[in-house]
Amino acid sequence: MKDLWAGGPPPGERPPSSRAARPLARADDRHGTVLVVDDDTSILDTVSSILAGEGYDVVSASSGQEALDAVALKRPLLILLDMRMPVMDGWAVARALRGRGISVPIIVMTAAESAQRWADEVGAEGYLAKPFGLDELLATVERYRGSGGRPN
Amino acid sequence: MVPRSVSCWLARSIESPDLNALDLISTVTQLIYVLIFISVALRAVRQPTRAHGDMTLFFGAVALIILTSRVAALIGASAPWLTTVEVAVLMALPYILLRLVDDFTHVRSAVKRGAELGLAVGIIATYATAPTLPTPVILYVVFYFFAVSIYCAIAFIRSARRSRGVTRRRMEAISLGSILLGTDILIAGLTPLAQPDDRAVLQALGQLLGLGSGVAYYLGFAPPAILRRAWQEPELRAFLARAASLPRLPATLDIVRELERGAANSTGTAARIGLWQDETAKLRFWEDDGNTVDVEPGTHFAGRAFELQRPIFSTNPVRDNPDGAANYRARNIGAVLAAPITAGERRLGVLTLSAERPPIFAVSDIELASLLADQAAVILESRALIDHAARVRAREEATRLKEDFLSAAAHDLKTPLTTVVAQAEFLERRATRDPGAPADIDGIRRVVRESKRLAGLVGDLLDATRLEQGRLVGEREPVDIATLAQEVCSHDASAPNVCQVEASAPVVGVYDRRRVEQLLQNLVENAKKYSPEQTPIKVKVWQEDGEARVAVEDSGIGIPAADLPRIFERFSRASNVDDRRFHGMGLGLFICRGIVEEHGGRIWVESEVGRGSTFHVALPIADGRRLN
Repeated sequence: MKDLWAGGPPPGERPPSSRAARPLARADDRHGTVLVVDDDTSILDTVSSILAGEGYDVVSASSGQEALDAVALKRPLLILLDMRMPVMDGWAVARALRGRGISVPIIVMTAAESAQRWADEVGAEGYLAKPFGLDELLATVERYRGSGGRPN
Repeated sequence: MVPRSVSCWLARSIESPDLNALDLISTVTQLIYVLIFISVALRAVRQPTRAHGDMTLFFGAVALIILTSRVAALIGASAPWLTTVEVAVLMALPYILLRLVDDFTHVRSAVKRGAELGLAVGIIATYATAPTLPTPVILYVVFYFFAVSIYCAIAFIRSARRSRGVTRRRMEAISLGSILLGTDILIAGLTPLAQPDDRAVLQALGQLLGLGSGVAYYLGFAPPAILRRAWQEPELRAFLARAASLPRLPATLDIVRELERGAANSTGTAARIGLWQDETAKLRFWEDDGNTVDVEPGTHFAGRAFELQRPIFSTNPVRDNPDGAANYRARNIGAVLAAPITAGERRLGVLTLSAERPPIFAVSDIELASLLADQAAVILESRALIDHAARVRAREEATRLKEDFLSAAAHDLKTPLTTVVAQAEFLERRATRDPGAPADIDGIRRVVRESKRLAGLVGDLLDATRLEQGRLVGEREPVDIATLAQEVCSHDASAPNVCQVEASAPVVGVYDRRRVEQLLQNLVENAKKYSPEQTPIKVKVWQEDGEARVAVEDSGIGIPAADLPRIFERFSRASNVDDRRFHGMGLGLFICRGIVEEHGGRIWVESEVGRGSTFHVALPIADGRRLN
């Protein structure tokens, strides 16, 4: 876990193999922290309460800045990130994280048609296209949680 | 012989057997006059009008004098009767010129009678005293000729001032010719009275004046085409310079007016343009008083010119178009020229020129009118192209707006839908897994709230669609807006903003209650949405000038001035609104405007960024029905 948060060189200077070299999440760490970021409080509360109900340790943030603070504080294993937010949007959050050398997996949440492209743009591991159902949400979270980018 | 000296201004070469420079000038002058005679005579045959007849008469008289002089020279002697005929014809010349002046401008009848009397007196005096004309008679004849010529010259100049283009130049040339001719006669008449030493000089001067008058008359009465085009150019250039910016004028009627003005200026006539209307299959003219006149093809001059696709010219409109006789008499119109405005195969309309008197040079005016009509066609056609391009752009814009709308609407619907779907599924799973567990009241509330939000969005979308079809407002009934505002204001008392209604009396009109309520609700919710918490929202209701007035005032973020004109348009949101913080499709105010306008009212907003906004509504109170 430690080197996931160790900072390190900027993204461009990182050796391409660094991600693969990171250790996988421990097998028994099934219910690690998941950070949910969305400015729409209904979605934020819904997703958070569902994940919490499924046994995840959930931290929620309703803005980009809150998300960055939460990352620094809680060191989540996975971030569910809404893209269109006021002041600091999903792209800015992803950029800030990468700039700090933090490569926690991100799942983009968006209602836009271009979900896949946006996910690629921010180097996210996957995306959840709104409106998503319960199974889709849980399966996606389970697949990418703590994977360091590779599905478990 | 003295009369000979008067007439010899045209036949001087016969006087001297030596062919010197002066003789050459004299011969050239004679040739020019004969040429002009042939030219105007041919024209008179083609277009037998009074003006053409008088022109032929004038130059015919001159040609006759030249001819008789030449004949006299050939037979070696001059018969006395020939001389007297010459003198009579010569004396008649200025009178014919005066008739010519009368053909295109008005000569007072006193002047005409005076000239006739003077002519009669001159002829009688000449015959009475022939063959030895005393000096007073010669002086009388010479001054009569001079005076009438100069009068005509002045009349031509004044007429030229009122004319434009080729006609003006030709009038000026004729005026110059008349001055030169009159002066030439004066000098020819005075030469025998002068000192013998001065006679040669005067004779030379007379020859030059004669040539000058010939050339000036030639340019005036029979100008070559190249000169006509050159004279037309400044007028056309001025017209085109003005015309270049015309296609971009806001309305087609503005363009028509400018073209009419341009044509009127260029021709010195009254100009009207009629445009072909596909819907009515008629030509439409716009009067100054705002009325329109429709002309069927084939009727009147305009309709005939349009149907035949060639200019129609009439010097007697009352006779040629009896249907319009009353109009021509009322407006004192003595000549009408109609030229079709056609761009390629597209028949656009007709240019009609009307004047009090027929133009003296109809051919020039028809040419100019056709040129102007062609230019008008180019301008109107470019206008049509601009309109077409604008329509295409508007269509593309509408398509783009629709796509934007669909994607925005989809986006806005998906957000609440996410909560509804995921939360409801989760509630179901919980209830299935553990039937005895307490209800997740927060989750249930979220589903309810987001379902309502969905319903609201769907309602807005439906309203926007109804609005576009103009059937937003339904059944109407007497509604007290003050009471309604009170209900709307106290509807959501839990909101962090205080809503206050200020109304001193009921304000009752006939409206669609549900829609007016929706209007007030939208405005109040808007005010709450964009205002800091705890700041008051004021709703003022009063009656003013037969209108129910409502003002919804907030101290919110305000609307930037640049956004104000578009704020009531579909999907329009002020640029300082963060559309992630404030949810909505930008349909609220669009629907508000629709409700107000379908009631025949007005809606507007006053706003200052950072200070707040006041939305004003005025609804007719007497009858809520749409006025138009």
